Amino acid sequence: MLTSLDPRITRLHLPDAPPSIEPKEAFDQFETYEAFHQKKEGTAYTYVGPVHAPTADVAFLFAKEQYSRRFPCTGMWVAPTRAISLTRYVGDTESVYDFVTEQLPAQTGAEPDESVQQAEAYARGEEDYAIFHLKKRGKAHVHVGMVRAASPDEALLQAKAVFGEQRPVVNVWVVRWADVLTSDDEDRDIWSTTPEKKYRDAIAYKVQDRIDRFKQEQQ
Amino acid sequence: MYGSVSTHDIPAQAPTGLENEDPQLLAEFEARIARGEKIEPDDYMPALYRKQLIRMIEQHAHSEIIGSLPEGTWITRAPGFRRKMAQMAKVQDEVGHAQLLYSAAETLGKTREEMITDLINGKSKYSNVFNYPTPTWADSNVISWLIDAGAIVNQMANAKGSYGPYCRALERICAEESFHLKYGHDAVVHMATGTPTQRRMMQEALNRWWPPIMTFFGPADKMSQHTEILMRWKVKMASNDDCRQQFLDMYVPKILEIGLTIPDPKLRKNEETGKWEYTEPDWDELRRVINGDGPCNKERLAVRRAAEENGAWVRRALQAKQQAAKHVRPLA
Repeated sequence: MLTSLDPRITRLHLPDAPPSIEPKEAFDQFETYEAFHQKKEGTAYTYVGPVHAPTADVAFLFAKEQYSRRFPCTGMWVAPTRAISLTRYVGDTESVYDFVTEQLPAQTGAEPDESVQQAEAYARGEEDYAIFHLKKRGKAHVHVGMVRAASPDEALLQAKAVFGEQRPVVNVWVVRWADVLTSDDEDRDIWSTTPEKKYRDAIAYKVQDRIDRFKQEQQ
Repeated sequence: MYGSVSTHDIPAQAPTGLENEDPQLLAEFEARIARGEKIEPDDYMPALYRKQLIRMIEQHAHSEIIGSLPEGTWITRAPGFRRKMAQMAKVQDEVGHAQLLYSAAETLGKTREEMITDLINGKSKYSNVFNYPTPTWADSNVISWLIDAGAIVNQMANAKGSYGPYCRALERICAEESFHLKYGHDAVVHMATGTPTQRRMMQEALNRWWPPIMTFFGPADKMSQHTEILMRWKVKMASNDDCRQQFLDMYVPKILEIGLTIPDPKLRKNEETGKWEYTEPDWDELRRVINGDGPCNKERLAVRRAAEENGAWVRRALQAKQQAAKHVRPLA
């Protein structure tokens, strides 16, 4: 039996030399979701990191805990990793859109106004897609806007038409908006941090006075 | 905290396998790193680069999880409500760091399931200092301050490395570490400038922890030579000895100014070379403890394993709701 300096661990009666565990099954740790945060009202949502979770709701909770606990945050999106399509990565001075060579079908006639276009697109079975750009390797993908398309491939072509002038664009992520779980504007209270948690901030610890006083006493 | 990953570098004579790499792709890969561009998960990378990064990031992740145990055990016994809260916040941060790091390692192709299995079965390592016990609150304070300080020296260097996902994780981790360091310093100063009993407790804890601290950055450079290629690829950003010197430069004065002594009669800065001289750490002990024969190796793994087993039914229940899906590694 294992004995520890911590009596609570000794009381667990853990075996001293347990046999090896079997390899864990796939999905024992769940699938991954990618999380995007908004650091300040009105700014673009930015990739912040993955979480492992069994459902989108749980992923949202984990992402909130993991990524908004310590730093200002005003909104969060999560999407299953498997729902995100991505391009290849190019160099820091290039645009990946230059390597997207397919063309959208040409428009014929005068363009109808935006609301008519939107209604027609949805009637054709098109959906909204969120587009994220990586501007520099090692940095984070940033949401640049939405397009409407019938598939992720077509969404990338639309993105090239709308955002293709931007550069550099090292990599593009395309996510069907219906696959993204977003925080609600009405729930913005969930992002306010309790002021009584100052003990988590470096700035709350001021020891220099104590050190100086100690040094004086020693002289 | 806890980025001591240098103790298990591949041995000097290990074959690099570079002869199996496509020379043109390898040249482009090296040119990208030389230009200062980061490598992202879908890029071509040599097998050795992938293998070494998985090993390094995985060990870092395990170190965060295991490293939270010796401090976690003091949450309920920390003196006063405020210190309990702060200690808890710190431990929560460390476990969060492990999540970030496991994901960064996963982008290279090893699943979190595989990493956890390897940790519990003793196949993967973690920072060796956590195989030592924390018999008193003062020992926990030494970890909070000086082990975190050592980890920050390591992590600040690694954050300039070449692998994008690891850099992103480290950027976030380093920001949170600044609280740990101040919190740890505050706790140590409080004890060291307190009553004679408090002072004695802190000195004894420092005496216990000094030898493990001196091995924290891994074996002396003269003992591990396989770093040239890893330095060129910006996997390893500073040599073990350089990290140790930097740590001593920064922290020896801070330890001495609060009236503590360092239990190494040979420790002094050679003014001519500008380098610290110290008693050669016991590398045999380091090797022995890494390989399982330390005071707390068994306990650390047993506790981790118990947590795994006790949580299994929860994971199974949640898994049932999960759509049958193919495993996809995190994107970045």
